[in-house]
Amino acid sequence: MYGWIWRHLPGPTPVRVVEALVLALGIIALLMFVVFPWAEPLLPFNNVTTPS
Amino acid sequence: MEAATEVLPRVVHKHEDVLPKTEPETVKIPRPAPPDGVARKAVRGFGELMITAGLVILLFVVYEVYVTDLISAGKQDEATTALDDQWNESNTVAPVDPQRQVQYDLIEGKAFAKMYIPVFGPDYHFSIVEGTTDKHLEVGPGHYVGTALPGNPGNFAVAGHRVGKGAPFNDLDLLSSCDAIVVETQTTWVVYRMLPTSGEEAGWAEGKAKNPKCAKVAPLKDSSNPASGPYSKTVGQEIVTPQQGEVISPVPHFAGELPVAEQAALMTLTTCHPRFSDKQRLIVHAVLTMSYPKANGFVPPELKEQ
Repeated sequence: MYGWIWRHLPGPTPVRVVEALVLALGIIALLMFVVFPWAEPLLPFNNVTTPS
Repeated sequence: MEAATEVLPRVVHKHEDVLPKTEPETVKIPRPAPPDGVARKAVRGFGELMITAGLVILLFVVYEVYVTDLISAGKQDEATTALDDQWNESNTVAPVDPQRQVQYDLIEGKAFAKMYIPVFGPDYHFSIVEGTTDKHLEVGPGHYVGTALPGNPGNFAVAGHRVGKGAPFNDLDLLSSCDAIVVETQTTWVVYRMLPTSGEEAGWAEGKAKNPKCAKVAPLKDSSNPASGPYSKTVGQEIVTPQQGEVISPVPHFAGELPVAEQAALMTLTTCHPRFSDKQRLIVHAVLTMSYPKANGFVPPELKEQ
């Protein structure tokens, strides 16, 4: 998977390194701001109330 | 002898012959690259997926424990600023009559009071918002809609996160009986103290009651009717199932009706238990021991307790 991505990044090695970093940061941002906030309510850490 | 000496040099010679031959052979001939077969690709792909999944989970922990704290800190600051503005504004408009019932603007998601737990340190303070949905609790501890208000008879019930999102009730299990929970409203400082735990109740008068912090704290149990009085089950700390909503009713665990005039003024804090789980709820009950009208520069002595 990672090898495949590396082979498909265009440009010489230094450019590829930058591209890979941007890609990784983009995925982290996607997880932090979209996926995790969505997934969090489905997980059991946040139920702190009792029925009123 | 001669035959033997003739043989020996030959053996040595053979060794010398063999060593230079074999060494270059193993070094020079490169190992043939293994064919990138389907099985090999599949195993590698699977391995990489597992590593990726591990990284994603680690990242989620970072998000849950740190990033949500940052997001909530921003929201808590906003709520506190809004509350301060509101208090300053209305204080300049009309002098507050201490005899009058405190008026609250209870708007869901908006802060209406602040809470301090001095034993958790001087920097422990949170603005309490109205409402206990996920959205409200992201801002800070949330007041259960419809439960009593600070200082009033009944049960002022507040829920808060224990993991992430500022985790206001992270250390709630460390609170011990007689520890102060100070609530600041627009007009009043209200001091609650945690009730004796079920283990402490029996020897209370001889034991912890002598601590000056405990001057106004005593088991709520009716001593003449310890088994079935309205407050027979109200203790400082309890762990209940998530369905047990009776812990935040005006008289916790009491099915009957008790006139408001006879109700104790309680504060109840709820959070999840054990940490990182929602299997149970950790409940802390505290009782009103003191209240002071707010005045310029006055800070309740309870706030300095450690």
